[in-house]
Amino acid sequence: MVESLLAIGIIASIFVGFNIGGSSTGIAWGPPVGAGIVKKTTAAALMTFFVFLGGWTVGRNVMDTLSEGIITIDLTLTAGVAVLFFIGLGILIANIFGVPVPTSMTTVGAIAGLGLATDTLNYATIAEIVSWWIVTPIIGFWIGGIIGRYIYPEINRRVQIEKSNGPLLTLGGDGTIPKPTFGPNTTWAELGTTVVVLVIGCYMAFSAGASNVPNAAAPLVGGVGGLPDDTAIIIATLAIGFGGFTIARRTMESVGGELSDIPLLAALFVMVTASTITTLLSWIGIPISLVMATVMTIVGIGWGRATRPITFREAVTRDTGEPEIVPGAITAEEMEGKPAAPIGEEEPEEVLKAGDLFNPRAIMKYISMWIIGPSVSTVLAYGFFILIPGIA
Amino acid sequence: MLSRILVPMDDSEHASHALAYALENHPEADITVLHVVGVPSMMMGEAVGLTLEDDISEAAAERAEPVFERAREVADEHGREINTIVGIGHPARNILDRAEDYDTIVLGAHGADWSRATRRFLVGNVAETVSKRSPVPVILVH
Repeated sequence: MVESLLAIGIIASIFVGFNIGGSSTGIAWGPPVGAGIVKKTTAAALMTFFVFLGGWTVGRNVMDTLSEGIITIDLTLTAGVAVLFFIGLGILIANIFGVPVPTSMTTVGAIAGLGLATDTLNYATIAEIVSWWIVTPIIGFWIGGIIGRYIYPEINRRVQIEKSNGPLLTLGGDGTIPKPTFGPNTTWAELGTTVVVLVIGCYMAFSAGASNVPNAAAPLVGGVGGLPDDTAIIIATLAIGFGGFTIARRTMESVGGELSDIPLLAALFVMVTASTITTLLSWIGIPISLVMATVMTIVGIGWGRATRPITFREAVTRDTGEPEIVPGAITAEEMEGKPAAPIGEEEPEEVLKAGDLFNPRAIMKYISMWIIGPSVSTVLAYGFFILIPGIA
Repeated sequence: MLSRILVPMDDSEHASHALAYALENHPEADITVLHVVGVPSMMMGEAVGLTLEDDISEAAAERAEPVFERAREVADEHGREINTIVGIGHPARNILDRAEDYDTIVLGAHGADWSRATRRFLVGNVAETVSKRSPVPVILVH
């Protein structure tokens, strides 16, 4: 009985891990793959390794929260398997209807529903988690806002991300020892960029492991007949890696495709911010959705940039690709019949306003979309465990 | 006699049908195709990408070009010329803001990819919203 239950649990866990692998590989590696800096297979391999690293180290703190923090008793294997089914259901709904369902939040919602139904909910812990969930998007949005408003435009002016044709490095050398040399068109700047992009992708993979491995692993470790932590982490990693090598080929284009509408430099800022938020929270044992941290940072950047008044300096240097026409920039614009907007004020009506893309109402609607998923999972799990009390 | 017609188009097949309908049934009219870019999406990729551009108008025009190209092909088949305008943000709001300048609006009853719940939640049913709130008559092409 316990064996077959465990087998069902492992299958459910693999399903969950597989899907997590698909979506988080898309987010972590979509931009670099889209920019042609990394191959899909390389991305999947790096993903698997760093997900394992994140799950094995920081992820354990989140696992503890999930399996023994949210509810006052240990999560039993039966209940764990039921919780996995709710996580899987959330993923299915996300896949079929194309709605964002943050997995980490669904997991907590399902376990909290179980706690409510069996009267074992640890209110102090859940209150702490929920307050982080409220604060984190605000932090992400705010950091994104600062980046979009002040940092990105400055850096963007100075940094050029390039990708030349031909291989980055080739193996050459005259003797018996092969010596890597630059490819035909490689420059130091390009090599540097590639290294930075790779490091950031690995960092995001690490944070994906820290926050997401526990979702697939924690439900399996509890109670009599459950798996040891290490085994569960390895199974979850393999499932995520499997997803990374298979369905991520598609998600790197769909999720990553949306991300690659954003300039790579901005995407790198998003990745660093979201990974840092996710890793830090996972470190203190708070389950947090990497996807949610990512989108809040993205929206923050958009908002920060959209609400940015036009400064004098920018008004002067705007639209001037060639340095030689900088001194006459304002005159040149006027001659084209395009009067420059008064400094710091709204542009004339026929010019499109970024504010239309990020008005407060649209942002609120957008954020609310991310709250629906976990709320529904709590209610569903509560109903389920009330109706079928034997499971818990 | 309808002299100024607004045809809002997305990248769907229905949008092309709507344009073809307008061209066929109103041979004398001035037809303007509106395409909205930077529409809200699950990760807000296009919208954020647009705001980060130095010149939003230019970037928006560039992104709208494939749709306009298709619109021009349809117009060519009818031996006609069309005007084009680009909007950004919310499609229905863009259409309604401009509605007053036209005698009628012709649009496809179904937009692109309505099965995606995110899009439905963030963008809504454009045809429905427009036909409900428009100050000028709206023709929905099925």
